[in-house]
Amino acid sequence: MINIAIADRARANEALTAAELDELASADILSLGMLADEVRRARVGDAVTFVRVIDPTEAAGATVPGEIRLAVLPATLVEAITAVEQASATAGGRRLSGFSLAAIIDRNWGDLAEVLGQLKRAGLDALTEAPLDLLTEAEAALQACQNAGLAVQCLSVQKPDAGVRTDMLMRARALAAKFPWLTTIAPLSREQSVAVPTTGYDDVRAVALARLALPSLPTVQVDWAQYGPKLAQVALTFGANDLDRVSITDDESLGRRRTSLEDVTRNITAAGFQPRERSSQA
Amino acid sequence: MDLKAFEQRIESGGRLSADEALQLYRHAPTYWLGRMADGVRRRKHPDGLVTYIIDRNVNYTNVCVARCNFCAFYREVGHGEGYVLGFDEIYRKIAETRALGGEQLLLQGGHNPDLPLAWYEDLFRGVKQRFPDFKLHALSPPEVLHISRTSKLPVPEVISRLIAAGLDSVPGGGAEILVDRVRKLLNCYAKASADEWLDVMRHAHQAGLRTTATMMYGTVETDEERLQHMLRLRDLQDETGGFTAFITWSYQPEHTERGGVEATGIDYLRTLAIARLVLDNFDNLQASWVTQGGKVGQLSLAFGANDMGSVMIEENVVRAAGAVYCMDEVEIVRNAEDAGFVAKRRNMHYEILGDPFFREHQVPRTLELSTAREAGDTSVPAELVNYPARTAAGKRQRSQPPASPVA
Ligand code: SF4
Repeated sequence: MINIAIADRARANEALTAAELDELASADILSLGMLADEVRRARVGDAVTFVRVIDPTEAAGATVPGEIRLAVLPATLVEAITAVEQASATAGGRRLSGFSLAAIIDRNWGDLAEVLGQLKRAGLDALTEAPLDLLTEAEAALQACQNAGLAVQCLSVQKPDAGVRTDMLMRARALAAKFPWLTTIAPLSREQSVAVPTTGYDDVRAVALARLALPSLPTVQVDWAQYGPKLAQVALTFGANDLDRVSITDDESLGRRRTSLEDVTRNITAAGFQPRERSSQA
Repeated sequence: MDLKAFEQRIESGGRLSADEALQLYRHAPTYWLGRMADGVRRRKHPDGLVTYIIDRNVNYTNVCVARCNFCAFYREVGHGEGYVLGFDEIYRKIAETRALGGEQLLLQGGHNPDLPLAWYEDLFRGVKQRFPDFKLHALSPPEVLHISRTSKLPVPEVISRLIAAGLDSVPGGGAEILVDRVRKLLNCYAKASADEWLDVMRHAHQAGLRTTATMMYGTVETDEERLQHMLRLRDLQDETGGFTAFITWSYQPEHTERGGVEATGIDYLRTLAIARLVLDNFDNLQASWVTQGGKVGQLSLAFGANDMGSVMIEENVVRAAGAVYCMDEVEIVRNAEDAGFVAKRRNMHYEILGDPFFREHQVPRTLELSTAREAGDTSVPAELVNYPARTAAGKRQRSQPPASPVA
């Protein structure tokens, strides 16, 4: 069962303490999900947004709405700028995102704000993500993004480690307070072990806690391509309200109802929500 | 809908009518269904155990004349990819299964007109001679009917001969939806009508066998028909008490003649939960991780399931239709424990056999399920010449010298 006082504080959009989040994390999974679902509906209603993500190599022929995304960060800044310029030329007015903030910092290409500024001037609209667990100086890094005028699409988590989840949620909340333009948390880890993947309970718990811990971030996002329709759909009932990385490849040979667009809208509707396709940041 | 009144009734062990079950299935919030189903699961299993079985899911042949239009597994008689496993191949699979702590084969296959009753009897006897304690959970009701038809023997006699040869229990496959309107649309009415499926189970129970019951949903059936299916099982269970468990899974559409889409994960959890509420005389509900994946498979434990099913080791049928999930014993136990349960090995009768096998023995991890045969292995078992074939293709094949097995 859920501690009633903590649940009431979550419903009132108050900032839960680390101890309260830890207590919620140990609640039974259905009670936690029910609370997260209630809080999500009160905060952001019953819409679920999703975005189709287009690889730059497919952008020229693509007629669907969505976002062009550069997945892999090239080895040098010159190559990265060239990749952004080329992708920007094919974007056709669509948003162009790319790269992880942590990966750019890792490259050590010089003054971060200057590097980000160059990418912005080359045509990049937003960085794909800022992984909370990889950024040792997240505040300074996000400040550099702000100075460069480059958005960050989401705060994310790279490695699966439930042991540091509360700490990461507290950091996310502090960053969201400092940078009000942040809107989105993607709480499910980008990395998965083949031999020991995160469990279903782990995943939906992480989604629910992100919803309850972060009243100032309206969007809790799940990666449709990575987590698949079944888990992603269930996550919607645990507080998620955005699905990232829906494929643009619609294999009509399997029938119209098997296409990505049909599949994602069918899953959203079947979970009791209203699907809304978006082409800009969540 | 007065959910409070339903809560009181369910919590006091009251029975749901068809209309009430339909109302709840259609309109009750998913979390409400989950909480109710979880409550019933707790009442039936207050010990906090989640069980599983180590067995191997072997499909002895993919040759089938039934031609169910939802099936991606079968091959027609004479098809180049049709196979029958040899007795030695099956014995080898059993030896491998035992090394992993397994104690049972789940043995099912297509309706192959060229396998007479004697083939099954010889196989079962051969298994029992070599592995006397090893259990055979074999031949779903439509297969028993098929053997009854090809051997021109009544079902009870087929069952008693199979028991004499070594059959231990009957899997609940081939039930799909036990409503003839649906069965006709799925082209599986001829293999077994709803009454025939239930009759085979009745005979098996009367012969002293325990069986499971299944439901494959998500094709053409209505919500009412899903519930009708459950109610027919509940009635037979009231009559015989022979079912040990209920297992439901969603239709897997890839590569099938029927095509279409797979039901969603939420639909699965709701269906599982309503089954827990309707099937009040079934003790055990399995999670179908093989169709839902490990994550939703684990979440099933919060929606009424108390059993993680089988480690499987091998799987051919749903893989052919696009599902490729794998959970070895380590994963099953980790998922059960992560959800707050104590994981225990069981047998088909749901008797506890002990703690996880891998904790006491060196067992290699399995990250991908095996298949019946290596791709391209078209070898024909030598012993098939001992059994008369019925079809022209079968007769032709058996008149030729056996091809040497693929190295
Ligand atoms: S489901 Fe079974 S009976 Fe039907 S076609 Fe497939 S193998 Fe044959």
